[in-house]
Amino acid sequence: MVGPLHYLFLAAALFALGGIGVVLRRNALIVLMSIELMLNAVNLTFLTFSRFPLAKSAPTQAGFLAGHTAAFFVIAVAAAEAAVGLAIVIAIFRSRTSVNVDEFDTLKF
Amino acid sequence: MEVSWLYLVPLLPLVGAAVNGILGRWLPKAWVYAVALLVVALSFCIGVFGWFQVARLEGETAQVRQLVYTWLATGSLRVDLGLTLDRLSGTMVLVVTGVGFLIHLYSVGYMDEDPAYWRYFSYLNLFVSMMLLLVLSDNLVAMFVGWEGVGLCSYLLIGFWYDDESKAYAGRKAFVVNRIGDFGFLIGIFVLYFYTGQVSFHTLRVAPLSLGVASAAAALLFVGATGKSAQLPLYVWLPDAMAGPTPVSALIHAATMVTAGVYMVARLSFLYVQAPGVMALVAVVGVLTALMAALIGTAQMDIKRVLAYSTVSQLGYMFVGVGVGAFAAGTAHLITHAFFKACLFLGSGAVIHGLHGEQDMARMGGLRRGGLQHTAITFFIATVAITGILPISGFFSKDEILAQALNTRAFDFLTLLPDPGSPRLTFLGPTIYVVGTLTALITSFYMWRCYLLTFEGEYRGPADVHPHEAPWVMTLPLWVLAALSVVGALIVLPAHDLSFTWERFTEGLFARPRGGPAAERIPELVAFGIALVVAWMGLASAWSLYAPGRGLAGDERLGRAIPRLRTALANNLYVDQLYDRMVTRPLWALARGLWRVVDATLIDGLLVNGTAQLVAAIGSVARRFQNGDVQRYAAVTAVGVLILVYVFLVRG
Repeated sequence: MVGPLHYLFLAAALFALGGIGVVLRRNALIVLMSIELMLNAVNLTFLTFSRFPLAKSAPTQAGFLAGHTAAFFVIAVAAAEAAVGLAIVIAIFRSRTSVNVDEFDTLKF
Repeated sequence: MEVSWLYLVPLLPLVGAAVNGILGRWLPKAWVYAVALLVVALSFCIGVFGWFQVARLEGETAQVRQLVYTWLATGSLRVDLGLTLDRLSGTMVLVVTGVGFLIHLYSVGYMDEDPAYWRYFSYLNLFVSMMLLLVLSDNLVAMFVGWEGVGLCSYLLIGFWYDDESKAYAGRKAFVVNRIGDFGFLIGIFVLYFYTGQVSFHTLRVAPLSLGVASAAAALLFVGATGKSAQLPLYVWLPDAMAGPTPVSALIHAATMVTAGVYMVARLSFLYVQAPGVMALVAVVGVLTALMAALIGTAQMDIKRVLAYSTVSQLGYMFVGVGVGAFAAGTAHLITHAFFKACLFLGSGAVIHGLHGEQDMARMGGLRRGGLQHTAITFFIATVAITGILPISGFFSKDEILAQALNTRAFDFLTLLPDPGSPRLTFLGPTIYVVGTLTALITSFYMWRCYLLTFEGEYRGPADVHPHEAPWVMTLPLWVLAALSVVGALIVLPAHDLSFTWERFTEGLFARPRGGPAAERIPELVAFGIALVVAWMGLASAWSLYAPGRGLAGDERLGRAIPRLRTALANNLYVDQLYDRMVTRPLWALARGLWRVVDATLIDGLLVNGTAQLVAAIGSVARRFQNGDVQRYAAVTAVGVLILVYVFLVRG
């Protein structure tokens, strides 16, 4: 029987993989894809709690829908984020001829 | 009696100072003169009006008052800007504005060629305003404002020709020495306020004071007086103050400001009689100053320095007067001295003016017949007044002080040491009398020396300088002051049946010293005789040395007879050098030490730069964490979040 914990562990694993990808990968495109992965891991958590509510007191229909709504929001925001992120990557590539994030370290003192 | 016009007395000269100070540069010269003279003349007229009002009122209530406004009221402290014109302050107002007006008039002639005349008249008006505030104020705080104000004007006017470094230095010296005294004055006010909660004269008058508090306050206030009135040990600034224009010396450093200390002691007579020990101190300081300054005066060659030391000496007499409890005699001498000393100073100014800036008596002589008749005659009259060879004003006022010193019983119950068995100070009054009489002899000597060297004999100056008489704006004040020096005697005549004498006029105004009324130790006429003989002895000794025609031979003879003493006297008894060695240089060394060790090393080095260096050191370490690698930031953030999650969710 597949319970909420299975979903949550899967979400945590996806989130961790995405985080590791964000931190370790050098290609900016891969980093963006890792961020998508993390966002979708979060979506999975939302849906899990929407399907298996924590409170014993009867969940309302609105409570069910809140998780779904949040997930749709995240998808919309992620789409926007991907568009802006890809635009930035292209802009950076035009000026630096590289998408290697290790070379972009001007964000300091 | 409450009036509503008293504030105009100090305000008008202040307005004049503001007008001349702000607009004087662009106003026509005649306007500057008109404003400066008019405001003082108006103040004088109001003063005369008030004086007659007060003279008509009776006894202790003879005063007109005005509460201009409450200056500050915090907690129990309430300071009013209140003005009181009583018989003492009213007369002081007349002296300040009257003599002040004459000196303003004289300055029109004296400063005519100076390009900064408008600045000069602005300062002079400001001085008159501040002096009037000082004498009129009915509390110590407002008096202190005037006290500081006249000090400021003194500084500004001594250093009036500030592009001459020595003159600017003399101004600074006056200011700094006065600061020492003013510090005492301020602490004295604090002591009185701390123990009584009062600062105004009419409430302090009835406030109960213990002997210790009264003595401390009186002594501290007297420290202020020694600064402002040039007494030992703070007199050193006054001879140097002669760097200022001569009318300033006459007004500020002879007639009015330097008498502020005497006025203050007389105004606070109720306080001083409660501190008999301090009164003895005042009298002793006064007589020692009188003697020392007179001695130094005998060996000075600069005509203004002779008069400066003479002023210090005469101020000493005034302090003897107020010190022995003869407040009326002390203040009477203040008034007569204002007349004849202003006349002497203005006379010396006319001489300096006539000789194109020459101040050295060695290059004067014969000026009475050499073109300066008016100056010579008025100088002669004033010299007669100060030396007392004829019974005119100075004779009576000085003799009254000495007689009161001889006869006083203010010290009879004091002992030399706190131990009640030690000898009583009954000898103090007669001792002061003897020293004071000796000083009168020296006074007569140096003043006649000054007169003879300047106006008699042959002209010793360079041939290309032709002495010329001053214009009428300068000789007129001389004549008025000379006349006042003569008729000033009227207020100090010793005749007890006259209805108008200063002593009768101010009856009830001054507190009576403890120890009872003065005992007549020698008859009055004998005292007068002694004073006359002493004065004539001084004249005779001066004549024997400096008779017309002998030139400077007298100084040479004195120099041979008492070479070391005379050299010392000519060098002002090395007091300046002594202060330099004892006070100035240790202070310099201390200041240097504080600068180098405390300021440069400790504060600048350790605290200010040390803080900056510490921050920089932390920064150089912390900087390594911010390398611009966003992935690193994200990794650190993620680790941080994990730690927080662990701490709050897992362990919490």
